[in-house]
Parts: sequence; structure tokens; C-alpha cells
Amino acid sequence: MATRTKVGGWLQGKTVRKGGALASATHTRSSTPQVQSTSTTVFGGGVKDASGRTTEYFSMDDQCPVCKSDRYLNPKLRLLVSSCYHKMCESCIDRLFTLGPAPCPICNKVLRKLAFTPQTFEDLTVEKEVAVRRRIAKEFNKQRGDFPDLRSYNDYLEEVEDITFNLINDIDVAKTEARIAAYRAENAALIELNIQREEAYARDLKEQEEAEKREREQRAAQLRREEEEEREEREKEKREIIDKLETSDKSAARLIAKSRANAAKRSSARAASATAIQSNAKLLRTRAAVDVPDVPHIPLQDNWYSYDDKYQLNPRGYNDFFSEAVRKDREGIMRGGGYMVEEAWDRALRCAVAALDLQPLVGLDVPAPWPQTDSSGDVIMAAV
Amino acid sequence: MPSVPTNDLPASQPKISLYEGSTQFKNWRYSADQLKHIRRTLNEAAVAAIRKTFETDEPGSSTGVAFLNADEELLLVKLYITKITQLCGHFRFPEEVEATAITYLKRFYLKNTVMDWHPKNVMLTALFLATKTTNNPISLEMYTTHIPKTAPNDVLDLEFLVAQSLGFEFAVWHAYRALWGIWLDVQNFPGVTEKLETSLYDAALNHVRASRLTDVELIYSPSQIALSAFSLVFPDVASQWMALKSPHEVSTLSTIVDDIKSIITTHGHPPSVESVREVDRRLRLCKNPEKVVGSKAYLARKMDAERSAAEKRNKKAVEVQKAMEDGDPFGNELAEKRGLAGLVDYDDDDDD
Repeated sequence: MATRTKVGGWLQGKTVRKGGALASATHTRSSTPQVQSTSTTVFGGGVKDASGRTTEYFSMDDQCPVCKSDRYLNPKLRLLVSSCYHKMCESCIDRLFTLGPAPCPICNKVLRKLAFTPQTFEDLTVEKEVAVRRRIAKEFNKQRGDFPDLRSYNDYLEEVEDITFNLINDIDVAKTEARIAAYRAENAALIELNIQREEAYARDLKEQEEAEKREREQRAAQLRREEEEEREEREKEKREIIDKLETSDKSAARLIAKSRANAAKRSSARAASATAIQSNAKLLRTRAAVDVPDVPHIPLQDNWYSYDDKYQLNPRGYNDFFSEAVRKDREGIMRGGGYMVEEAWDRALRCAVAALDLQPLVGLDVPAPWPQTDSSGDVIMAAV
Repeated sequence: MPSVPTNDLPASQPKISLYEGSTQFKNWRYSADQLKHIRRTLNEAAVAAIRKTFETDEPGSSTGVAFLNADEELLLVKLYITKITQLCGHFRFPEEVEATAITYLKRFYLKNTVMDWHPKNVMLTALFLATKTTNNPISLEMYTTHIPKTAPNDVLDLEFLVAQSLGFEFAVWHAYRALWGIWLDVQNFPGVTEKLETSLYDAALNHVRASRLTDVELIYSPSQIALSAFSLVFPDVASQWMALKSPHEVSTLSTIVDDIKSIITTHGHPPSVESVREVDRRLRLCKNPEKVVGSKAYLARKMDAERSAAEKRNKKAVEVQKAMEDGDPFGNELAEKRGLAGLVDYDDDDDD
């Protein structure tokens, strides 16, 4: 496939054939440059995807409806679609249309060689619908802002949908075309304006993306540079320590402590400069956040009294042998699930003061859930 | 507390404290007299019912049987509470599981009698249920293989019954947690932190554990029990803390604490095995025959249940048949149905 593209350079979009392995195998086998069929020079149509490529439909059961040759006879068979949505193989197209416009062998509509496009979808009605919609969208490009109210905008959309439907299903084609022409004549200026608008929008988007990309690259480069510097510095320190230990006669522990302190100072300075770089991104984020006022979330709207006035969690923590393991867990393995010892303390303290003043019930005449027994002595609710 | 967003609803509505919103407060709080009364009436009703079953089985057979009284039932339950503690030590379950299981067992026998359901099985089920409700699950196989002479079915058969008797109210407020809270909070007093030694905490916790052998958790709130246990170890710090927490009602609170202390010290011991063995021997004779698999009364009851189930099924079949004949298998118009709503049996047969 690559060889073909190189030889020709004729496609507006790169064409990728669906159906993979077998197709590419046949191509790699013929390593000699292929004689280029003249017909292929014209096929720039088809449905492009986001990257500008056209994915072509391809199947092992392909058969040209005109000459009946199939993939078994001709592994390089390539079917193209006419403007009347009939399929034909390349050799048939060459044979029939090289000498100028000729009628379609299936429906007799006069066709030109230029009007054949590669097939993208298996179902040709889909192919047609996509083409029609694309064509309509080019002209019917009014936006919500071009209408005084929602009602008229919806009417417009309805009309567009009507026209599209008619074209797809070949209903009143002449009349519909007339409608389109009338619309075009009426709104020529607006259409042009909207096209420009869309182009400008697309351009903006692209520019923005590129700027972001540039910035990312810059930041990555800077990060790399910093890391490199840091590494070098560390190496240097190590070397210095060793040198000093070799040469000076001070106590080793003090020397190491001193150089450590130096290193800590330097690293904190680095961290400060790093935050300055990051603040740009943070600024953007805060600007986005400003628009939405942050209302504190209150999960429950209820009327509970949770003894908050009866106790106070000591912010300095407690001398607590229960939670010692959790608090000393430096890697945070035990806090993995979001466990916070403060919350456990809070719960215990709350439990300690809950209902402390509650008077116990006295006597028999307080309402209580008496067990109800049936004749067999079982609790009624406890069915056996 | 750091400022927790409190939702100030209309001030006219008094706030309900969290403990008073719990099912423990609403449905499982009794007075001592009430407990006595419940146990007595339950025991009497059970004895009457079992005596009747004996008589229908074989007239005159109930005269020689010495049924258990309410105190003896309680003694047996108490013994199996100590068994829960042993099992929890064996499985290394956390304190929460043990305390919850014990609470379940006690609550179960406020709705049922020992003569119907032997506490040995109920205890196993209550403990297994507690592991699940406190989020310390263990597989059933693991559980039963570590307990001698126990099959998975012994645990599962009673599970629904136990859950139902508990009214599906599985959340329990425990005194041991309150004790921890007190232990933390008294550290705010100057000079106390140095006195708090781990061994003393264990001593206080042992008093809480002893309180589980008594009825205090059905009468008093967990914080009061914890305070009493703490007070048994640190009387002066406890009274200081009491004065701080409820300055207006120190006297009433200290009376409550003294009551609990006396209950814990007098009743908080495991029962002597000799006395329980005697009770258990008699229980074997006066067990409800309807609950003994294979006995005549059991079969009779089972047949009874099956008959009523079959009746119900037949009735339903007839109704369905009628509905089919009427034309619409899903019943008639809603308007007609509404008039009949009381008569139609929506119940499924699954519960049998």
C-alpha cells in the first residue's frame, strides 16, 4: 500500500483498506511498482475520518456487478461508487468512461469518471446519507444565534431535515433542489458569513491546541533539565562529602549533618522555584473555578443533636496505645482506605458522652415492646 | 469540635440526640422490672404451650416434667455468653464482634425462650451474624470447621429466625467504645495522662466485659456503663470527669453509676458450671417437642404447616384459574381490583 501511495501521490486523503492481512499480503508480494491505473487518479471522495484518512470498505465477497469479476479472479479488485450509488470495479470504469460521459450500465444515468468515490460503508444507503448530509450542512449552516427565537430555529431545523430526507430517499428531487436553490439565493451572505465563522473557530481551536502542546513540551524539557541538574548536584555533594571526610580532621558525623542541612536548604529553594512554574496552570484552574460559587455540601438535612458541645477533639492528639500502629505507619498502608485516626477518636469521644444524662426506665408502666406470643409460645413474628 | 456545618432547621423543633434516634434506645431499652416481667410471662407462656403439646402427644406425660423457670433460663443464656467470649478469643475476632454477638443473644432471649431454641445453636448463629453486621466477615466453612460438632446448617438454619427476632435491628452502641472515649477525654485533665497505664485500661475494659454478663446494657446507656467501669478503676478521675460533663446532674449521674457498679460487681461473673449443668440436664427433658426433629409433635406440626400451605396454594390456583377464565390473566381492571384488595392474598408461598 505504501508503495502505491509513494508512486502516485495522487490521493487527496490517504486511503486505508479495511480487512487487513490478506490485502496487505497481496501487495507485499508484488514488490515491483504497479502500473498505475489512470482511473485511480481521480478518486478523492469518500468519507474522511478525523485524521484526514479515508477508510475504504473491503470484503472477500466483493464482486463487480457489471463484469461479474470477483476477488477470487482478481485479488486487486477495487470497487468504487458512482454518483447514483452503484458499484463498479476500476477496470469497468476505465472501459466505460474513459471516452467521456456515458450512461450507468445499471440505471442509465449519465456519469463521469470523476464522480466515482471509494466506498466507506458496507451499506450504500448510509454512504448516500452521509454524502447528502455533508452537502446540506455546507449550505444550511445557520446557527441558533441567527434566529430571533427558539421556535423559528426549530422550524428551520425541521425544514433542513425535510430536505435531507427528500434527497436521501429521492422524493420530489426536482422540487427539493429548487428549494435549496431558493434558500441559497436568499441567504447567500449569511451562508458565507457562517462559513467564515466556522473557519475562524476551527483555526482558533487549532492554534490553542498547538500552544498547549508547545507549552507542555517546554515544561517537560524544563523538568528534564531540572532533574539532570539535581542529579548532578547530588553527585557533587556525595563527592564533596567523601573529599571532606578524606581531607579534614573534624568528626565525620558533624560533617555529614552539615552537608545534609545544606542539601535540604537547596532542595527547598528548588521546590519554591518549581511552584512558581506550576502556578501558571493553577491560575488557569482557579480562573475556571471562580465562575461557580462553591456552596458547602451538606449531605444530610436532619435534626440530630450529635453532642458536639459536650466534647472537644484535642488537636494535639492523644496518648493512645490503640492507634499507635496507625499513627506510626509512615508508608500509610493502614490509612490506605481513608482511615483517619482523628475520626475514630471523634467517634469514641462522641460515644463517651452520648446519653450520659439519660435516666433509666423505672417500673412496669412504661410503654415497651412486649413480646407477642401466640398459643404455641412462639413469638408471632418469628415464623418457624 | 471544629466547625461542622450544622443545619439549623426551625428552632421550634427540638433536636433529637443521636442515641435517642437509635433502635437501641427505641426498642431495646427496659426497666429492671420490665425485664423481669417479660421473662416471667415468656416463660409461663412457653411452659403452658409445651405442656399442652406433651399432653396431646401422650396424655399425662407432662406431670413429672420439671420445667425451667425464668431465672434458670437466664442462667443458661449467661453461660453461653461466656462461650461467645471463648469463641471470639479463639477466632481472634475484634471486641466489636464479641460485644455485638452477646447483645444479639440477650435480645433474642427477650423474644424467645430457651426451651424452644437451645442457646448453643443460637449462640453460634448470633456470633456468625455479628461478624457480618460488624463488617468482619468470615466464611461459613472456616467458621464451622473450627467449632467441633458443628455443620454449616446448624448456623444457617436459625439465621433468619435470629435476625427476625432482633427485628432486623443490627446496629448496637457499645460501652467499650465509650470507655475508649473517656480514656481519651480524661487526658485533657492536667496530670492525668501519666497515670493512665495500659494495664489499668485493661482493668477497666474487663469491667466492661463483666457488664456484658449482666442486664445493664438493656437498662442503661453505653456511656453510663463505660463510666462505671472507668470509675471502678479511677474513682477520683471519674467523678472529676462526671462533674465536667454534666454539671447540673452530678448527683443523679453518680447514683446511676453506683447502681451499675454494684450490678457489675455482684452479677458480673460467669455462672458456676455445676448449677448450669443441672439446668441443662433438665432442659433436655422439657424441650419443646415440636422443635425436636423427628418427634411426634414435630411431625404433627410439620404436617399442619404443610396442610395449610397446600390450602393456600390451592386457593391461589383457584383464583388464578378464575382470573384466566375472566379473560385477562393479569386480573381485571384496576378499579375492580381496588374493591377486592383486602380479599386477595398477595402473599407468596415462599415463606413456608
